[in-house]
Formats: sequence, structure tokens, C-alpha cells
Amino acid sequence: MEKEGLGLEITELRLGLPGRDVAEKMIKKRAFTEMNMTSSGSNSDQCESGVVSSGGDAEKVNDSPAAKTQVVGWPPVCSYRKKNSCKEASTTKVGLGYVKVSMDGVPYLRKMDLGSSQGYDDLAFSLDKLFGFRGIGVALKDGDNCEYVTIYEDKDGDWMLAGDVPWGMFLESCKRLRIMKRSDATGFGLQPRGVDE
Amino acid sequence: MNYFPDEVIEHVFDFVVSHRDRNSISLVCKSWHKIERLSRKEVFIGNCYAINPERLIGRFPCLKSLTLKGKPHFADFNLVPHEWGGFVLPWIEALARSRVGLEELRLKRMVVTDESLELLSRSFANFKSLVLVSCEGFTTDGLASIAANCRQLRELDLQENEIDDHRGQWLNCFPDSCTTLISLNFACLKGETNVAALERLVARSPNLKSLKLNRAVPLDALARLMSCAPQLVDLGVGSYENEPDPESFAKLMTAIEKCMSLRSLSGFLEVAPLCLPAFYPICQNLISLNLSYAAEIQGNHLIKLIQLCKRLQRLWILDSIGDKGLAVVAATCKELQELRVFPSDVHGEEDNNAAVTEVGLVAISAGCPKLHSILYFCKQMTNAALIAVAKNCPNFIRFRLCILEPHKPDHITSQSLDEGFGAIVQACKGLRRLSVSGLLTDQVFLYIGMYAEQLEMLSIAFAGDTDKGMLYVLNGCKKMRKLEIRDSPFGNAALLADVGRYETMRSLWMSSCEVTLGGCKRLAQNSPRLNVEIINENENNRMEQNEEDEREKVDKLYLYRTVVGTRKDAPPYVRIL
Repeated sequence: MEKEGLGLEITELRLGLPGRDVAEKMIKKRAFTEMNMTSSGSNSDQCESGVVSSGGDAEKVNDSPAAKTQVVGWPPVCSYRKKNSCKEASTTKVGLGYVKVSMDGVPYLRKMDLGSSQGYDDLAFSLDKLFGFRGIGVALKDGDNCEYVTIYEDKDGDWMLAGDVPWGMFLESCKRLRIMKRSDATGFGLQPRGVDE
Repeated sequence: MNYFPDEVIEHVFDFVVSHRDRNSISLVCKSWHKIERLSRKEVFIGNCYAINPERLIGRFPCLKSLTLKGKPHFADFNLVPHEWGGFVLPWIEALARSRVGLEELRLKRMVVTDESLELLSRSFANFKSLVLVSCEGFTTDGLASIAANCRQLRELDLQENEIDDHRGQWLNCFPDSCTTLISLNFACLKGETNVAALERLVARSPNLKSLKLNRAVPLDALARLMSCAPQLVDLGVGSYENEPDPESFAKLMTAIEKCMSLRSLSGFLEVAPLCLPAFYPICQNLISLNLSYAAEIQGNHLIKLIQLCKRLQRLWILDSIGDKGLAVVAATCKELQELRVFPSDVHGEEDNNAAVTEVGLVAISAGCPKLHSILYFCKQMTNAALIAVAKNCPNFIRFRLCILEPHKPDHITSQSLDEGFGAIVQACKGLRRLSVSGLLTDQVFLYIGMYAEQLEMLSIAFAGDTDKGMLYVLNGCKKMRKLEIRDSPFGNAALLADVGRYETMRSLWMSSCEVTLGGCKRLAQNSPRLNVEIINENENNRMEQNEEDEREKVDKLYLYRTVVGTRKDAPPYVRIL
């Protein structure tokens, strides 16, 4: 039981600040290795360093779903291919890739499949179609000229302005979308785009 | 030394085509160097930062074809941040300024802007061929310039690029006088296509041999296109998720039956299984089949199609084909040379029992004697299987095995896969490219160093135990050109053991390993002909120089040989030591 709990954290490999998280990673990695060493050591003479997997335990830990999705750039499938097979995955499974979209002034929410969009432009287009309102796309591209802003709730529960991060990162972190009236967002100190240029 | 006039020698050199051979003959003597460089038509640059445009043009003023590669391979897996580099514009500007008679440009993993494409299209009157693979940064507006201005265009081949599709009319920009197209591939475009413009273009291109459509081209349009281009050799179809009505289907069948020259088929991003039988008549002629994007097709539909493809040499497929399907491939495709099996479940969410295992791999190796290249994604593997594969297929040139779960051992014996991969490198004396995976110790690298004498490219992930692993490889594989390593415990001792070695290689990539900033600095100190790049995207971590801790581990290290020193176009988060 204890080992399983440890396993979930260990396999949470992420790109952290070097020097800080890497130390943690090392500890985790060593712990993972230790976990795999059998007490019997009957196979240990096969491997130089004595790192051996006890089949059963290793299987249990590695089957946890968290393990499979955490590693950046793994499996080594090129991003173009990942994006183009993503669509199939999200249409065959209910819920996956679909996020709720709310728009200020519209009394009901919609659901849309983020995975079917290929980028922010596409998303803008799809949002326009969804609500039958031409302005949303403009909001995504050209924030300061439009009545609306598009924001999304990320994995941490924070509301973020859509369009800042690379599309792939956005896809992975977006939980829901909201199209908000710019006038309601004035408290947020949103800079018009182009100010920093 | 020369008993013949220069023109005779030049004529002899015309028969020497490969870049390596031409590089070799240019080293023989000054005279040969001069003759060779002035007659060189095609230049291949594997790393755009190893040389600069000025020196290229200075040495090869008569070049007609240029191939450039930019970002390192791991950029394909999102390990290299955007804006890292690989900009083609300076190259095009320099070539244009020097009035080089450029006819062909092939780019891989480079940043291409609309501005570059516009400049390209206006600067070279004889420009004939543009091939862009895994590039980004441009839109269909750039394509419009190419279409409109390149009067001699024969080839426009866009493979797996990130293109901003403005849903414009770029296809309309080919002038009516353009009849020279031989190859057109726009499969990666995501937007709608002006089908009418496309049909007119195909109709006036009698030499068109290769046509790859994007997902937006509907079935009836496909039938019409094939009808007016029965000479097609290579076809990429669009997306057909709905079952065709009988009339469309009949038209498609008629059109396909006429395409007796068709040898290569791809596309099928989404395809209703009932569309496939339309292609049965030409299957017996196919030598190349790419169904790796057709996620919706069940194994049995794939099998029916493949059973007819007896001449297949190249097959790209999804693991939904299963071991059963691979057994059919093994029994049918005796001419098979290259096989790629991609994971259909990229995010690892399903427990896909139909996916391929070591059984399928062994079956293929037993049934296909001509197999020399394989890329195989699977969930499990055994040493016994790899040993059998090695025995069945000693002719592998490329062997890439990706077990989806890092550190996964032999699923029967629970041992590492050292012995299995060891058998591969020992048997396959001509092996040039290898990717390893699964649970691996330093031992596998000992084998690789000992046996893989021809190995040029090695990809390592989540493998090895100590610096010895990496050292075995660096010491043993004399022909190594590209070494890429991630998430493996190799550190400064391995990195610094033989610094001179890196000048014999194109590049080294190490990410999430044990090398430290101090180690990289020491490496860079004595190597003026290496660029040592530390990539650190974490904005918060950019400390002042004097606060730096040299013991800090480097997240991503990319080093490569160069004759032109530090590049000037690196973004702020790339530090070149």
C-alpha cells in the first residue's frame, strides 16, 4: 500500500528548476529503484548494478494512470502526429477533450471539444460558430478592440487569459472556458496587446 | 597529379553523387577540392548552425539544391521550446544577395516565415522544388507567394508542418500558365480547400505524379481528381468519416481502377471502413501504404486491405492492427523493407488489449526477410523475442523500439532488456540507427559500444545506471554522429571524458540527466569549435552570474560542432557557454 502511494509521486516526472526539483527527482528516482529491488536478489547477478524489477510490484505501480500522462515528450510520438490522432480519441470518448463554455449574457452553457481545434485561430472560429457571435474570434486575437475577453480555468483552478501559452500547453491545462464582457474584467488590469511591443 | 583536364575530372565527379563521397574527394588535393566545389550542385547541411550562409556560398557558388536541418530531433517531442532557433530567412537572404541559382530547397525542423517564402519566390527564377518537413512559422499566405511567383515550380511538398491556415485562396494563386507540377502535398493544411481551384490545377498538370490532399477534400472531389490524373503514382487522400452513398462510391471505384500507376497510398485521417474497398483493385500494385492516421479503422478492415498488398515494401500502421494483423502482414508482404507501428492510444488512457506485443514483432521478423527498418511502439517486450528477431533479421539498418512505459522490464522474466538489445546489435552488423527503451542497465551500453560499429544515431531514454553506460557508447561507437539522451543518470564524468570526440559528431543532446552547469562550462572552455547550449525555459531561474551554483543540474544540454562560433539569434533562455 505504502509502495503504491510512493509510486504515484515518483513517476510524476516533470521539468522543474534545476538544482531544486532535480534533487527531489534524484531521491524519487533512487527510491523507485530501491522499490524495484527484490529482497531475494535471486536475479541480481544478472545485472551489474543489482537493479532488478520484482515484476509484480513494478507492474502495480506503473499501471497507475498518473504515471502514464506526466512525462513531457513521452511516448516519443511527434507532436504533429499527437495532434492529429487526438481528434479521434476525443470523439470516441465522451467527456474527454470536451470543456464547458460559458458566455456572459447567454443563459445556458455549451460544451465543446478542444481537441478538435488545431490552434487558437481554429478555437476562435469554433467559438464564433458555437455562439453565433462573430466577436469572440476577434477577442482571442486582438483583445483590446473587442467587447469580450476569452478566459479559461486551468488545472490549478486559476482563471487565465486565453492565448498566452503555446496551444499544446493550453490544451493540457484548460478545464473550462468563459467568454466574459471586457467591462467586467476591468478590475484585472488587462493590458491591451501591443503595449509591450 | 592530374593527368586529365579539369573538365574531364569534373565529368567523372558528376557520377559521384552522395554527399559523403563528394566530401571525401574534396579532401584529396587542392585541385580536386576546387573542381569539386565549383561543380557541386547539391549541398546537405545537417545542422544549420554548423556553418553560415556566407561560407556556404563562398565554397559552393554554383549550388542548385540546398538541404537544411534546424532544431534537434527531440524538438519533435516538445522538448525544445519555441523560438529556440533554426530560422531560414538569413539563408534565403544571403542566397538571394549572392544571386545563387537556387532551384531546390529542402528544410527540416526550421522556422519559416511568410516573409522568407515571399523572398524565396521572388529571388530565384528557376526555382523548382520546395520541401518543408516539420517546419513552422508560416501561413497559407506564404504558400500563395510560392504558387504565384515560382513559374517553374515542380514540387511543393509540405510534410507535417504547423501551418496557420488563413483559409485563403492560395490554390487559386497558381497561374493558368502553371503546368509543370509533378508533386503537390498539402496534407497538413487544416483549413478548407478551394476544390474547384484544385481540380483546375490538377487538370492542367499532366506531369503530376504525387498528390496528397488534406482532410477537407471530399470524396466526390477525390473521384474527380483521380479521373483527371490517372497517371498518379503517389496519392494521399482526405478524410471520409461518413459512409459514401452508392453513387459516389461507384464513381470513386471507377476512377481508382484507372490509376494503374498508383504505387503509394496515404492519408485516411478519418475513414469510414466502407470506403476502403474502393481501393482494393490497386492494392496489388502498392509498394507503400500509410494508414497511420486512420485511427477509426478496426484491425479486421486493415487486414482485409493488407492481404491484397503483396508487393508492399513500406507499411506505416497503427497498433490497432494487433499481433493478429501483423501475422497477416508477415504472411502476405514478403517484400516488406520498412515497417512503422505507431501507438493509437497516445495518451495511455486505454487498456488496449488489441495492441501489438512482442509476438507481432517476432512474426514480422520471421516472415519478412527483406526487412531493414523498423519503428515499433508496444506495451511489452521480452529478451527472448528480441533474440529471435535478431536471429531472423540480421539486416537491420534502423531499429527503433519504444516500449511505452519507461523502465519496463521483460514482462515474463522481469529482467532488464540488456540481453535482447545486445543480441540485436551483435547480429545486425550494419545497424546505423538505434532507439532503446524498457528497463536497461549499463550492460546494454557495453554491448552497444562493443558491437554497434556502424551506429550513427542512438536515442536513449530512461536507461542506464552510471556514467559507464555513456562512456561505453562514446568509446565504442566510432561512427556515432547524433547522440540524444533523456532522463538517464549520466553526468559530468561521462560528458567530459573525451571532449575532442564531440567534434567528430554532429551533436549531443542530454536532458534531465546528471550533468551540471560546472561540467558544461568546463566542456565549453576548451572547445572553441563546439557550441554548448544550455536551455532553461524557467524564467524565474535566471539568476545573476555570480549567484550561480555550478553544482546545479542542467535541464537541457545541446552541443554541436560548428565552424562559425556562437550563434547570434538565440532566445534569452538559451545560454551558449
